[in-house]
Amino acid sequence: MVITICIGSSCHLKGSREIIQILERLITLHNLKNKVELNGSFCMGQCMKGVCVKLDGELFSLQPSTTEQFFKDEVLRRLA
Amino acid sequence: MLQGTSDISTIKHEVLYEVAKHAFRGDLDQTEDQIPFDLIPGPQANFRCCVYKEREIIRQRIRLAKGNSPSVNKDNKNIVQVIPSACEGCPITRFVVTDNCQKCMGKKCQNACNFQAISMLRDRAYIDPAKCKECGKCSQACPYNAIADLMRPCKRSCPVDAISMDENSLVVINEERCINCGSCIKDCPFGAISDRSFIVDVINLIQSGAPVYAMVAPAIEGQFGPQVTIGTLAQALKELGFTGMYEVSIGADLVAASEAEEWTEAYKEGKKMTTSCCPAFVNMIKKHFPSLLDNMSTTVSPMAATAKLVKAMHPGAITVFIGPCIAKKNEILDNITQGTADYVLTFDELRAMFQAKDINPATFGEHMQQGSIYAKNFAVAGGVTAAVVQAMEEKGIDTEKINVMGCNGAAECKKALMMLKVNKLPADFIEGMSCVGGCVNGPGSILTGRVAQQNRAKQLASADQREIYENIKNYEQYPVEMHRK
Repeated sequence: MVITICIGSSCHLKGSREIIQILERLITLHNLKNKVELNGSFCMGQCMKGVCVKLDGELFSLQPSTTEQFFKDEVLRRLA
Repeated sequence: MLQGTSDISTIKHEVLYEVAKHAFRGDLDQTEDQIPFDLIPGPQANFRCCVYKEREIIRQRIRLAKGNSPSVNKDNKNIVQVIPSACEGCPITRFVVTDNCQKCMGKKCQNACNFQAISMLRDRAYIDPAKCKECGKCSQACPYNAIADLMRPCKRSCPVDAISMDENSLVVINEERCINCGSCIKDCPFGAISDRSFIVDVINLIQSGAPVYAMVAPAIEGQFGPQVTIGTLAQALKELGFTGMYEVSIGADLVAASEAEEWTEAYKEGKKMTTSCCPAFVNMIKKHFPSLLDNMSTTVSPMAATAKLVKAMHPGAITVFIGPCIAKKNEILDNITQGTADYVLTFDELRAMFQAKDINPATFGEHMQQGSIYAKNFAVAGGVTAAVVQAMEEKGIDTEKINVMGCNGAAECKKALMMLKVNKLPADFIEGMSCVGGCVNGPGSILTGRVAQQNRAKQLASADQREIYENIKNYEQYPVEMHRK
């Protein structure tokens, strides 16, 4: 599974780097290093919805505070 | 406004300049539809069939400058992108009979062809493009060398066979195979292949007041002319809005020391190893020789090492690597969890930013040196090896018997990796450089060749002779993890 996080300037200022760190920590915590890959991407053109995160082609709008919920609801659910 | 005499690099540069200018003013969203008309006012077309096509090419280039795919609604992540409106679909058939044909009686070409594609006209043989399968047998068979092999320039240029044509003869890049080396960008005579840019992102972040640090690649010396040294660049970059500037050659010193340890260990064990600083070479291993990943040095690239150092020195810093390389843009996207640089710009993109703010780096002046001369030479083929060997010697290790295969250019890299794969590599180590001559000839350069070399040699002559370990001692209070996670 690949999670793509927008690193464009708008998403950067809204906390994309923080979201990357949170996701990385959760991936390590759940021992999913071999199953989940984190990738960066150029601006996804949806800056109003930032931070833009793509999973299986679906666009999610995250904030650092909602990242853990996203991980539980989407990542863990899809892997289950 | 573009002139009829403008070449591809001018067109690319003018688009970057316009985009940078409006990004600095903060009105890019409102003005981007106007840029094609500013550059191509018409009514006469200068380069292509009509002004409408020319403006469409500019529109697609603007999208690339903003980091998007050139075509609207195309979702792909490759750095190297085809500009479909600019591709001429080179209508050349691959094998063509030339004037050398004697219409001989041997008819070896005709006999060699398995597809009955060759007939005899009044003066010479003729290859029917509809029947030709491009096998090349006729060309090999001709005793007069009369059949020319005219491969499309993009296809010929690609070292990893990632380029093909669609049903309309437009170029298609196979992103699974592409290593983002940028070779096709340099070689397409119509400028139909180019790279995405972070230029707007970097300008937006500078304008936001965030602490943005520039990290300049060792290849930069000589790129902006003979007057523009590391010291003048540091000041010019501050004028541009960067908080500070560091030389990536500091990271290269750290890499030389780290690889020296790895090589010493590997040599003892009899294990063969490759370098890991050239991102296109790393991509070549990852995508085309995955069984050799274990042989690749685990040391991070000089860019990553410098970014980690800058972030340790200035917590919260946004780091921007500025170099001649296009594959580096891919390196940061693939390694977002590694603490590497946040953004990558090319020298050409930096030049556009200077012009957009009307800054002439040559008007500043002060001497500055952060990296050793060995690290600065990472930018030249053979330079990485020389630096690693120097680091080993500084540690008192005998390097006389160590045999390194310096691969100068992607074709040589591929050959060496093939040999390593089948255990036939005579050398102990491989230095992989995807660009012939090293980073100094990278596709994101401003100047290459003799002029660049002369500028560079002049500037490097004034560098002091500090040693690698002596230099990295200055930074030892900052923790930098030198190996990939």
